[in-house]
Amino acid sequence: MGTEYPNSPAIPSRPASPFSVPQSSTPFKSSGPVVGPEASAFRHAPPSSSQITPPSSSYGSMVGTEASAFRTIPSGMPNGAARPPPTSGFPNMPPAAGPYQHFPAPQFSSIAQVPPPRTSLAGQPVLWPPVRPVSGSFSTSPVSLNPTQPPPVQMGSPPQSGSMVQPDPVAPRSPIDSQFSAARATMQLSSPTAGSVYPVARPSFQSSFPGYISQQTTAGAQAQPRQSLAFHPKPGGYVPPMPAASSPYFAQQGGYAAPPSVASQLGHPREQIRHPGSTHPMAVMQGLVEDFSSFSIGSVPGSFDSGLDSKVLPRPLEGDLERNTLSEMFPLNCSSRYLRLTTSGIPNSQSLASRWHLPLGAVVCPLAEAPNGEEVPVVNFAQTGIIRCKRCRTYVNPYVTFTDGGRKWRCNSCALLNDVPGEYFAHLDASGRRIDLDQRPELTKGSVEFIAPTDYMVRPPMPPLYFFLIDVSAVRSGMLEVVAQTIKSCLDNLLGFSRTQIGFITYDSTLHFYNMKSSLNQPQMMVMSDLDDVFIPLPDDLVVNLSESRTVVDAFLDSFPSMFQENTNVESAFGPALRAAFMVMSQLGGKLLIFQHSLPSLGVGRLRLRGDDIRVYGTDKEHILRIPEDPFYKQMAADFTKNQVAVNVYGFSDKYTDLATLGTLAKYTGGQVYYYPSFQAAVHKDKLCHELARDITRETAWESVMRIRCGKGVRFTTYHGNFMLRSTDLIALPAVDCDKAYAMQLSLEETLLTSQTVYFQVALLYTSSSGERRIRVHTAAAPVVADLGEMYRMADTGAIISLFTRLAIEKTLTSKLEEARKSVQLRIVKALREYRNLHAVQHRLGGRMIYPESLKCLPLYGLAICKSIALRGGYANAQPDERCAAGYTMMALPVKKMLKLLYPQLIRIDEYLLKKTSLAEDSKDKGIWKGLPLAAGSLDPQGLYLYDDGFRFVLWFGSMLSPDRVKNLLGENFAADYSKVSLRELDNEISRNLMGLLNKYRESDSSYYQLSYLVRQGEKPREGYFLLTNLIEDPVGGANGYLDWIMQLHRQVQQNA
Amino acid sequence: MVKLTMIARVTDGLPLAEGLDDGRDVPDADFYKQQAKSLFKNLSMGQIDASRMSVETGPYVFHYNIEGRVCYLTMCDRSYPKKLAFQYLEDLKNEFERVNGSQIETAARPYAFIKFDTFIQKTKKLYQDTRTQRNITKLNDELYEVHQIMTRNVQEVLGVGEKLDQVSQMSSRLTSESRIYADKARDLNRQALIRKWAPVAIVIGVVILLFWAKNKIW
Repeated sequence: MGTEYPNSPAIPSRPASPFSVPQSSTPFKSSGPVVGPEASAFRHAPPSSSQITPPSSSYGSMVGTEASAFRTIPSGMPNGAARPPPTSGFPNMPPAAGPYQHFPAPQFSSIAQVPPPRTSLAGQPVLWPPVRPVSGSFSTSPVSLNPTQPPPVQMGSPPQSGSMVQPDPVAPRSPIDSQFSAARATMQLSSPTAGSVYPVARPSFQSSFPGYISQQTTAGAQAQPRQSLAFHPKPGGYVPPMPAASSPYFAQQGGYAAPPSVASQLGHPREQIRHPGSTHPMAVMQGLVEDFSSFSIGSVPGSFDSGLDSKVLPRPLEGDLERNTLSEMFPLNCSSRYLRLTTSGIPNSQSLASRWHLPLGAVVCPLAEAPNGEEVPVVNFAQTGIIRCKRCRTYVNPYVTFTDGGRKWRCNSCALLNDVPGEYFAHLDASGRRIDLDQRPELTKGSVEFIAPTDYMVRPPMPPLYFFLIDVSAVRSGMLEVVAQTIKSCLDNLLGFSRTQIGFITYDSTLHFYNMKSSLNQPQMMVMSDLDDVFIPLPDDLVVNLSESRTVVDAFLDSFPSMFQENTNVESAFGPALRAAFMVMSQLGGKLLIFQHSLPSLGVGRLRLRGDDIRVYGTDKEHILRIPEDPFYKQMAADFTKNQVAVNVYGFSDKYTDLATLGTLAKYTGGQVYYYPSFQAAVHKDKLCHELARDITRETAWESVMRIRCGKGVRFTTYHGNFMLRSTDLIALPAVDCDKAYAMQLSLEETLLTSQTVYFQVALLYTSSSGERRIRVHTAAAPVVADLGEMYRMADTGAIISLFTRLAIEKTLTSKLEEARKSVQLRIVKALREYRNLHAVQHRLGGRMIYPESLKCLPLYGLAICKSIALRGGYANAQPDERCAAGYTMMALPVKKMLKLLYPQLIRIDEYLLKKTSLAEDSKDKGIWKGLPLAAGSLDPQGLYLYDDGFRFVLWFGSMLSPDRVKNLLGENFAADYSKVSLRELDNEISRNLMGLLNKYRESDSSYYQLSYLVRQGEKPREGYFLLTNLIEDPVGGANGYLDWIMQLHRQVQQNA
Repeated sequence: MVKLTMIARVTDGLPLAEGLDDGRDVPDADFYKQQAKSLFKNLSMGQIDASRMSVETGPYVFHYNIEGRVCYLTMCDRSYPKKLAFQYLEDLKNEFERVNGSQIETAARPYAFIKFDTFIQKTKKLYQDTRTQRNITKLNDELYEVHQIMTRNVQEVLGVGEKLDQVSQMSSRLTSESRIYADKARDLNRQALIRKWAPVAIVIGVVILLFWAKNKIW
C-alpha cells in the first residue's frame, strides 16, 4: 500500500484514467488506519499476518523479516549479509512451485539489504519530504512504509521473473513505469516502493479484476522508456550481485496488477498487508502451473534433439479443449457455441495487435444447435419496436445500463444515452437494476431472438422452397434411386408446413421441366432442347405447393429414376439447366440442390478437363486449378444470392468434374458442397441418404443477412466462409443452418483503445421456416488487455485453428499449396517466437521450447492443417476434386467439427466390444474413450481400432486380431477383400456392440454420416489410403511427422529469437 | 388480371398476409407495393372513410374492401372487371375470417397469417382469366352495388393524407414558434424591467451601503 504514496503526486497528472485514482486513493485509506496513526501499529501488523497464513510458512517468516527490516531501515540499519542469498535464490525460479516457496526467504534478505544503499544513495529523508505533502496526515506512515516496501519488491521480483512475469510481462511494465516516471522526478527511491505494491496485488488481481490491467497500462505506456533508463541504474546500485538487471524490473511488473486487489480488499487494511506475504506465493504457484507446465513438456532441456520424446508432446486427445475463461468473466455472454474469439483478450493498441501473430478475430456459428433447455428465447417487442442504440445500432442486450430512474439507457458499445420508449419503461430498484429484469430475456441472456417488425422486411416472409436440379446423363451408379427415395421419404419432414414449395428440373443434353399442377395425376414432362436461349415453358406450376401437389410429386419421384435408367446420353447441359432453375426460382428464392454426375459439357458454362494436368503442379499456375474456370459460375452465384437462392452441390463422379468451378455456386450463396467420389449406391447409400435428408430437413434460416458489430475502435475487416458480402460488413446468406460457421478477422481502428471492454454483437436477420421474420442476436463482451502475455493466456486454440484453416484454404486459391502450408507454419513460428521473447530473458530457456498452455495444441493442429486433404502434398496426394470439395467443406465447418476433422479420434475398441456392459452404462463412463495419438505406433496388431474424423469411420483390424472375433464382426466372408465387405449387424454380442457404438457416435454428431470403411492391417493400398495417410503424427510421403514438425518449428523459433 | 394481393389490419396498418410471388409480371412491383402500404397507413389513420373504394394508379387499379377491421386489397389491370375484383376480395375475406378470424386482433407480428398466401394464390388463379365460364357467371350476378363504389385517383387519396400531414406539421410549427415568441417576449420584458429599475436599485443599494458603512465606522 505504502507504495502508492509515491504515486500520489502522479495522480493529478492522470486524471483521465478512472482507475488510477481509486487505486491510489484506496491504499491511503486502507493503509491509513494501520500505518498512519502510528508506525508502531503498522509494524505489528505484518508479523501477525504472517502468523495468520500458515501454508506459506517460509513466506510468512519472510514477511516477518520484512517487518523487521522495515523497522530497521528507517533507523538506517542494513542487513548486508543478505547479498549472497539473492543470487542463489534467483536461479531457483524456473523449477516448479515447490522450490519456489523457499525461495522468497533468501531473496527477501537480499531485499532487506537493498534499502541501506538506497538511503545512502538517494537519501530517504530527502525523498520523503516532497511526498509527504501529498499524503498529508499520513506523512509519518510513508516513511515507515517505504522501507518495508523495498523488501517485497525484490522478493517479489525473483519469483515473478520465474513465474508471474510470464503471463503478462508487457503490460505490467508500463503501469509501473508510469508511476515511476511520476515519482522519479522527485526521487528514485519511490520506484522500488511502487514495485512492492505490485507483487501484492497481482495475484488477486488475476482472479478478481480481469479487465483491470489495460487501463493502467495505457497510462504507463509512454512512461516506459524512461523508466527503464532510470530504473536499471538502481538495481545495479543496490543489488550488485544480481546478474540480471531485468529481474527487479520484472518483479514489479508481475506485481503491478496489485492495485485492483487493493481496491477489492478495501476495509481490511491488515489483510492487505498480509497479502503481500500470503497471496503472493499462491499466485506465483498458479502462474507456474499455468505457464510453465506447458514448456517443461515441450522438450527436455539441454539435450534437445536427442531427448525429445514424442509421447509427451501435447495432443488434444480429449477433443476440443475449450477454455471458458471468458464466460466466467462475463457470465452474460452468449454461449461459445455461437461465438468464439481467437483470443478473449483484445489488444489495446495496434502495436500490441501487430505483435500477436496469430489471427485476431472470431468464429461465428449463429444457428448452432442448442441442447435442450438452452434454446434461444424469443422476444416480441410488438408495438414498441426493437430497441436499438440510435448511433451504433446495437441491439439492447444484457450489458446496457439503465440510468435516470429507468428513463434512459446507455449503449454499452458506444456509450450513447438513449431514451427508453414508454412501453419499455420500468423502474429501477435500489441497485440500479430494472425491476422487471427477470421477465426480460434480452437483458439477461447473451442470445435472444427478436420478432422483426415490418421495417426489417423487404417482402413478406418467403416460404421454404426446395428445387432439385438433377443430372440424369447415363447415370449407372444408382444415385437417382437413392436421391428419389430420400426426397420422397423426407417430404413429410420438409420445413414450412403447408407453405413448402418444391420443384424439379432434370437434364442431360436437354432440359426436362415438370409440370406438377395439383389438378394433374401425373407430372407432365416438357423437354427443351434449345440450350442457347433458355426460357421457362410454363409460367406457374414448375414450383408447386407441396401439400397441394403431393400426389403429383410422389408420382414423379416414383417414376423418374426408372425413366432415365436406360439413358445413354452422356452429355450434361449443366449451365443452361442452372439458368432455367434460376428463372424458376428467382421470384421466391430458396434452396437449390444440384446433383451433378459428370463434367458440364454443353451450352453455357461448359467446362473442360483441366485437373489432371500433372505438369501444372508446383508451378505458379497451380492455384488456377482451384479457382473457377468460367466466370459464368461466379456470375450465376451472385445472381442467386441476390435472389435469395442458396445452392448446395452434390458431386458423384469418379472422374474429374471440376468441383472447383461448380463449388463456386455453393461458396457464394452460403451453400455447401457434398462430394461422394465414385458413388456406388450399394456403398454410399446410407451416407447420401442421411446427408441429403439432413440437408433438406434441418432447421434453416432463409433470406438472411448477418452483421457483426463491435465497440468503438475495433472493426471487422475480413470475412471468411461461404457467403457473399453485400456491403463492407453485411453478409448475405440466402440460407443458413446449424452446420455453417463463418470466421472473421478484426483490426483496431484506433492506435490506442481507451475502453476496458469490447462488445461484440452478432445479428442475424432471417426468415424462419414457419414464416416469421426474426433477428437472432448474440452478444459477448471481452476484456481489453494491454499485455501480450494476457492475450496468449486467453487464446482459444479452436477458434485460431478455425481461422487459420480458412486463411490457408483461401491462400491455396491464389498461390501454391506449398506456400499456403508455409504461411501456416510461418505464423505459428512467429507467434511462438514472440512468446518466447516474452519469457526468454528471465528464464534460462536454453534449448527448451515454450508455448502458452492455451496454445499447447497449436503446433499439432498446424501440422494437421498442412496434412488436411485440402492442403496436403501435391498432385498425387489428393484428387483435385477431393481437394476442392474438402476446401469448400472446411470453409463452412463450425469449430468443433473442424478440430475433429483436423485431429480425428482414434480409439481402440476390441476390448470394449468384448465387455458385456450395456451401452447406457458406458456412455457415462467416458474414461475408456480416451483417444490415442494419431501415429502408427498407437496401433497394436492385436487390436481393433476405430478412426473417426466426423465424416467417416475407419475400422482397422490388426493382423493378429483373433479370427473368431473378426468372424463375429464380419460374418462368413471375413477373409475376403474388405473393400467388398460391408458392416452389418450380426447376431452376436460383439457385432451388436460395435453397431451400437458406431450409431452412438453418429448420433452424437449428425451433421454428416460417417460411413464405415474396413481396413485390414497390411492391406494395400486401402490401408494407406484410408488410415495411414491420415495418421498425421507420422511422417508420410515426405511430409513431416509431429516430432520433426516440432523440431522444425523450434529451430525456426530460435533463429533470431 | 390480379397482380397484387395484400391483407392488412386497419387499426394499425399491420400487414397480415400477402399473395405468394406477387408482382412477378409487374415491372415496378415494389413501387406499387409501397403505394399500397401508404394506402394502409392512411386507412389506419382514419383519413379515408370509404370502406370500399377503387383507386387508380398508373395502368392499374387498387380495389380494397374493409370488413371487420381488416382491409383486403388487390391490384388489377384497369381493364379487369371491377365486379370480379370485389368478388375476389369477398372470397378472400370469407376464407380469411373463417381461418384466422379469432386471432386477427391479437396478431402481434407482421405477416402473422402468411400461411394464407397459399389460399390467395389458389384463389387468384381462379380469377386470372375473365373468360372462364365461372367468372362470366359471376359477372352476370348482381351481388354487389359495384357501381356505387367510388373510384378515385391515387394521388388524391394519398394526397389527402399528405395535405393533412402538411397542415398538422404547419400548425405544430406554428405552435412551437409561437411558444418561442412568447418566451422571447417574456425575456425582453424582463430585460426592459431591469434596464428601467436597475439604476435606481443600484443607487439605493449604494446609499444603504454607505449608511451601513457609516454606522460601522462611526
